[in-house]
Amino acid sequence: MREIRPRTPSQWLLVAAALLYAAVLLLAPIVAIVQKALEAGVGAMLDALSEPVVLHALQITFFITLGAVAINTVMGIVIAWVLTRQRFPGKRLLNLLVDIPFVFSPVIAGYTLIVLFGRTGWFAPTLFPVVFSVPGVLIATTFVSLPFVAREVGPVLAALDREPEDAAYTIGASRWLTFRRIILPGIWPGILYGVVLTLARALGEFGAAAVAGGGIEGQTETATLFVFRALNDRNEAGAYGMSLLLGLVAILVLILMRLLRRNTVTEHSAHVDHPG
Amino acid sequence: MSIILDKVCKAYDQQTVVDQVSLEIETGELFVLLGASGSGKSTLLRLIAGLIPLDGGRIELDGRDVTHLPPQARNTGFVFQNYSLFRHMTAAQNIEFGLDIRHLPRADRERRVNDLLRLIDLQGLGGRLPTQLSGGQQQRVALARALAYEPSVLLLDEPFGALDVKIRGQLRQNLREIQRQLKVTAILVTHDQDEAFELADRIGIIEGGKLIEVGTPSDLYRRPNSRFTATFLGAANLLPGQRNGTHVYVGDATLDAPPNTGHLSGKAVELLVRPEEIELAHHADNLRGQSIGRGVVERIGFAGPLERVTVRLDNLDSDALHVLLSPDEARSLAIQPQSEVWIGLRDYHLMAKENA
Repeated sequence: MREIRPRTPSQWLLVAAALLYAAVLLLAPIVAIVQKALEAGVGAMLDALSEPVVLHALQITFFITLGAVAINTVMGIVIAWVLTRQRFPGKRLLNLLVDIPFVFSPVIAGYTLIVLFGRTGWFAPTLFPVVFSVPGVLIATTFVSLPFVAREVGPVLAALDREPEDAAYTIGASRWLTFRRIILPGIWPGILYGVVLTLARALGEFGAAAVAGGGIEGQTETATLFVFRALNDRNEAGAYGMSLLLGLVAILVLILMRLLRRNTVTEHSAHVDHPG
Repeated sequence: MSIILDKVCKAYDQQTVVDQVSLEIETGELFVLLGASGSGKSTLLRLIAGLIPLDGGRIELDGRDVTHLPPQARNTGFVFQNYSLFRHMTAAQNIEFGLDIRHLPRADRERRVNDLLRLIDLQGLGGRLPTQLSGGQQQRVALARALAYEPSVLLLDEPFGALDVKIRGQLRQNLREIQRQLKVTAILVTHDQDEAFELADRIGIIEGGKLIEVGTPSDLYRRPNSRFTATFLGAANLLPGQRNGTHVYVGDATLDAPPNTGHLSGKAVELLVRPEEIELAHHADNLRGQSIGRGVVERIGFAGPLERVTVRLDNLDSDALHVLLSPDEARSLAIQPQSEVWIGLRDYHLMAKENA
């Protein structure tokens, strides 16, 4: 790549446009949240965040995120595996379907869950309710964060040298052992990167969780849903406090992602592009 | 008999890659499969290892029918051209892998790994990652990894192909010594004829998926049965002739028929003469071998330790003969292009004429 230092006014103008754009749309909101949260006062913020309902929302968010990440990590690896290693009918369809959560509006996704899992739906549950309860939120969050691990692991898996696997087989290692000890370490950076993206997506999910879970206070309300309700209720300390907390986690995740990406790119000379 | 292949076949999309290969390899033998790229030699090796399923035939390793066994159950050691070490494991961990998954006691594993590191002359480097080792060192680790669990056969797929010439020579020596020392049966696949000559107890020539001919290096070089082998191994001069009674007639020259060629009597034959078995002289009387007549020198070229001379026979409609002369021979002859010379054969071999 050939980089130049801007010299002409038009080159400076381009740089200025990019910087201004990022400042207004990306930096300003972060600054605003921090400033507003501090304005409300740290004490008030902590008080607002230690309300039982808020703690419950955080708890729900924590477990839902954990669940979605766990499910999508395992299933993402499975999907990436069959898409890169196996030939089967419906492969192209599966490849297309994996990207559905990228293009579907989360609200529509949440709505389809109601249609499917509602009392008259195809998958109407018999043991425990899904819609407007925690399982619904989990399914909705899992849906919207589904593609990341699959799409990150796929190219890494495809670029992986197959001969060490063959070597392991001749040495006597079973397929599962070979996967654990030879393949997994090779695709690890891709998995971690996918996990981080899944985590960020699950943490910030709003639309699908709101529709499928109903955002019932103290029951299916997640952290982001709480922010929305706090704003409506003019509970500024709560809204800004939670926003700040989520924002901090998001930035942490972003930094983590950058670090992992650097490792991924250096370990696999192939550039792993994230499709979202 | 350590390895028995019986009519082994493999095709990809109706394209035959390995065609009815049958072969028996003795215990402790180092067998070299020699062929050009695309001849099917690597595929055959992978069929033996069980890395690809075969379409037909039978494979026996160490008296055990392994035809339908997965690679894990065949107990082979495989060495790949590109080393294929486990990149996240140290050299020692790579070597230990086969012992580890066999759940050997820790002390035994450590002892074995150290023995092997000494065997491949990498003592003290066991803690290095593959990226911290040179290509030659990596390939030695790969060899040790394949030997660690005492496989019944060792399979090597162009193991020196990715290394530079100098290291290649050293590693060949190492491999030969290690293989002899451990008496492990081995098949090595290569396209490099020098490598085959240097290493092989026997060579199998493979072409178009077919095993053309099998023999010791010197037999295949001096007394091949086929035109393909004759021309594939080294430079070959092929002269048309006719064998009758106790003689061979080449052009208007009459030569003694070599012993044990009675089955070719009365038949059209081809005379195989290696370039180093041809002598040149200014007078027929000075030839020590049998004369096949006069010719004209076309070209003289430098070929390192030898002089490469091209001579066209006067009375025979054949390709020009390739001759290799020692520097001493070349000096005492003092020939130039267009020089007239007498041509003699020190050694020659008869093959049945093949229909083109």
